[in-house]
Amino acid sequence: MSALPVERPRSMRPVLDDEALAAAFAAKERWAFDEAYARFGKLLYSTAYHVLGNAEDAQDCVHDALARVWRSPDSYMRSRGAVRSFLTVCVRNEAITRLRSKARRRKLEERVAAEPQEHDELNVADVIEHDRLRAAMRALPPEQRRPLELAYYEHKTHVEIARELSEPLGTVKSRIALGLRKLGAALGASE
Amino acid sequence: MTGHLGELAALYALGALEPHEQRGVEKHLEVCDACRRLLAQAEADVTAMVSAQARLDPPSPLRAPRAAQPVRAPLRLAFAAAIVIALLPAGYLLEQNLAMHQAMIADAQGVARVAMLPHRTASFTGADARVMYAPDGSWYMVVIRGAKRPLALLWPHDGTQTMLGFAMPHGDVALLYLPKSHRMNQLSLMLDGRVVGQAQLAF
Repeated sequence: MSALPVERPRSMRPVLDDEALAAAFAAKERWAFDEAYARFGKLLYSTAYHVLGNAEDAQDCVHDALARVWRSPDSYMRSRGAVRSFLTVCVRNEAITRLRSKARRRKLEERVAAEPQEHDELNVADVIEHDRLRAAMRALPPEQRRPLELAYYEHKTHVEIARELSEPLGTVKSRIALGLRKLGAALGASE
Repeated sequence: MTGHLGELAALYALGALEPHEQRGVEKHLEVCDACRRLLAQAEADVTAMVSAQARLDPPSPLRAPRAAQPVRAPLRLAFAAAIVIALLPAGYLLEQNLAMHQAMIADAQGVARVAMLPHRTASFTGADARVMYAPDGSWYMVVIRGAKRPLALLWPHDGTQTMLGFAMPHGDVALLYLPKSHRMNQLSLMLDGRVVGQAQLAF
């Protein structure tokens, strides 16, 4: 058979790449795991660092979260969406779990007090992007913004948030879910 | 937990659940495809927030976890895959080897559709391959035998070809499952820039 010209529309390239990676990741192909690590390592490290505030803890957290993903048979299936989002949330949840450990928190507080913060120089692009998050947050109605801020920046559970805001649990859940979807849409998140 | 995730998906993605609720969600996700899709959106939203924050370089190279062998998929899925393989038309899936089972398990949703839903089958000329697809074209499952390397699947239409994805080989069988699609009357397989197989599909 003859070779035909192949059209790969520009807009499809990242989708195709992600799809192939997702298929291989779900199939537990070792190369896919390495590729995900190479492609998203910096994002995952940053994710953990923003929660834990310590470079060493952030590295440990990324390592342990990914090791758990790799060893769990059903941890990732293709219907779960993009590998990037899946891993980001895995790492972030792992970081939050660590933060909530009382002993860990005490240790962290001691370290933070004793050591200068690393990564204190942000480039201009980062600042602009961060402003996008703040700006999108500000665009939310206050009743959605406040519980979302408490969940995202202060890593509180919905029970703690409801207590702090003196609102019913159901109300807090709904407002967080609604606020998150609006924020995701404003920041261009898609699945 | 009982029932579907609903608003808990957003709370899970944000890490805002109590530990016992988080475990309940993870247990439910093992069995509910609809909730995995719901969570995918919430995870994309949280990732958009994370991505909008400063990106930091690790002070030293990240240690990739050592390649401990992944735990095998549960036996029930292996069993389901074996049943599906038995249901498939003979002639192109003769060797039921372990690698093929793993490949089928990896695309468990596609396997389940082939097993349980009405579908049509078309053979590729020029390759030991078949495509099973929904009568309305909403999903496709391509199975290629004797594949040693990934093969590209393309949709020839209107004088051009659109790349759909890659069939990844497992042992000597390659699979590609397209869970959401539309009617395509023709499909091509490509290796090293050349079309090596074509299938005509009827709707």
